[in-house]
Amino acid sequence: MTRGNRILLSCTYWAFVAYVFVPLVLMVLMGFKDSKFIGFPIRSYTLEWYMGIFENAEVISAFAYSVAIAVLSTLISVFVGTWIAVLLEGRKFWGRAAIFGLTVLPALIPGIISAIAFRIYARYLGIEPGMGAIVWSHAVHNVPFVVLVVMARLSTLPKSQIEAARDLGADPLIAFLRITLPYLIPAIMGASIFCLLLSFDDFVRSFFLGGYEPTLPVLIFAKLKSGMSPEINAIATAALVLTAVVGVWAERFTRRMNKES
Amino acid sequence: MTSDALVRIQNVSKQFGDTVALNDLTLDIARGEFVTFLGPSGCGKSTTLRILGGFEQPSSGRVILDGKDVTRLPPEKRQVNMVFQDYALFPHMTVKQNIAFGLELKGMSKTEIRRRQDEIMSFLELDAYGDRYPAQLSGGQRQRVALARALAPDPALLLLDEPLGALDAKLRGQVQQELKSIQRRTNKTFFFVTHDQEEALTMSDRIVVMNKGKVEQDGTPEELYFHPASRFVAEFIGETNLLTGELRGTEGGAVVMDWFGQTLRGHAPGGVPQAGTPITASVRLERLGFHIERPATANAVQGRVVGKTFLGSRMALDLLVEEAQGATLKAYVDADTGQSVGEAPVWIGWEESSMAVLRD
Repeated sequence: MTRGNRILLSCTYWAFVAYVFVPLVLMVLMGFKDSKFIGFPIRSYTLEWYMGIFENAEVISAFAYSVAIAVLSTLISVFVGTWIAVLLEGRKFWGRAAIFGLTVLPALIPGIISAIAFRIYARYLGIEPGMGAIVWSHAVHNVPFVVLVVMARLSTLPKSQIEAARDLGADPLIAFLRITLPYLIPAIMGASIFCLLLSFDDFVRSFFLGGYEPTLPVLIFAKLKSGMSPEINAIATAALVLTAVVGVWAERFTRRMNKES
Repeated sequence: MTSDALVRIQNVSKQFGDTVALNDLTLDIARGEFVTFLGPSGCGKSTTLRILGGFEQPSSGRVILDGKDVTRLPPEKRQVNMVFQDYALFPHMTVKQNIAFGLELKGMSKTEIRRRQDEIMSFLELDAYGDRYPAQLSGGQRQRVALARALAPDPALLLLDEPLGALDAKLRGQVQQELKSIQRRTNKTFFFVTHDQEEALTMSDRIVVMNKGKVEQDGTPEELYFHPASRFVAEFIGETNLLTGELRGTEGGAVVMDWFGQTLRGHAPGGVPQAGTPITASVRLERLGFHIERPATANAVQGRVVGKTFLGSRMALDLLVEEAQGATLKAYVDADTGQSVGEAPVWIGWEESSMAVLRD
């Protein structure tokens, strides 16, 4: 590689990094501005906006609501997804491809389409907009990710492990609970964290299927409509830090677990 | 066969689609025997093992274990345990927990389990490793844990699926001795599967050589080595001289054959073929003797040494037998004899019992 090429390559790289991170840096920075208006110059800094989040009942309850939805929908997704993965992996039966296709489909449908479809269907079933409807839509949307991650892990489980368990006196259920399930734990953990973040982050489905109580992203959206303020930056930054920390921790955790077994 | 048969395999066949993995196998295994199924891959040895373990169902035939028909029983209902080729130790359990797995499922009490655990771990010298995970053990230790786990529930029959394949050559020899001694001390019936003829010869009481889903020969290691019944067995086990010729007939107990104009006498462990047919006979390399004068052995030909290979403890000689239309023989001799043999023609002699006329 010539010197010129190398310089060009590193310029492109740093330009890309700037493109991705400058908006985030600005968002974080503005959260510290001691003024009601967003924009340069920043004359003095304050922690007031951040402190304000913890005193704001509206924000706290939206956060709690989002977390509750994330946890519930994740539990459902993981249970259903693991079940489907175990059914599909390493087996051949008629209609397997069809079931697999239908399972993965929700992940491929654009959010707005699936949100509208859910809304219509919820209406049809007589389900009131609100927590139940949101949990349901998040769970359906997240199942494919669980299925794919768990299937990938399951495909690396040597067949002899299950045979050894059977050989030592375990019936198929005990073999599943004592050998297969522990082997799947890293994948299930990874998938869970991913589902939690997807759900916590979701706006479209929560917006279309929500009742009067807003989730955190919906609340931020509502606040944006009434005008920009450093308060929104502070809330968004807090959410960013939280998801980033959970995401990075989960990544390292699952990698370590995978290495151990 | 014996009335004390622990396992009776009766007319068992197994097809996978169009391939016949096992073709009408009938065989008894005696209590306390170390039986090895030996053969190349795809010969049906592993299928037999998996049928005994309950992992495959035979297409036809029956398997009797300890007087009970177990043909359709799943693995967990059989008093049979297996040492897997990859050991299949449970990675999330310690050595102790691995060993306890089968005992818990037998419904043993906690104190019983602990007693049996200690017993088997001291027997296999694993006491120091009880709290380690499989990933923290060496290959040889893992192999012993797999053995301990399979022996702990006190199975009637222990299946071993090429368990030495993953070990390096030096360790393998040591583990072979160990396995044999464990088998003797526990007096358990071992069903061992391998493609390694040397392994089979060193450990087994009895070897069953398999080929294409059928038994080629069934006998002690010595019988198989010195008295192979078929060409497949003669070639598969050890090195040998194959002499092709024509059958003349029988004389007393001996089989008489013509080898490029030389009349040779052998025996036929696999049955006497039809007179006048082309046949092959096998003579082991170390069974050829060297003499200055014509020896009194049943067979004697004159030959010349045309090549020598030094092998350390012994020497391999290539011999040219001019009177047999330039056919060649190979022989093993001790290094001193090898050195002393010169260019001059020598007499090569071997006994009738050293030459096996083969089924093809």
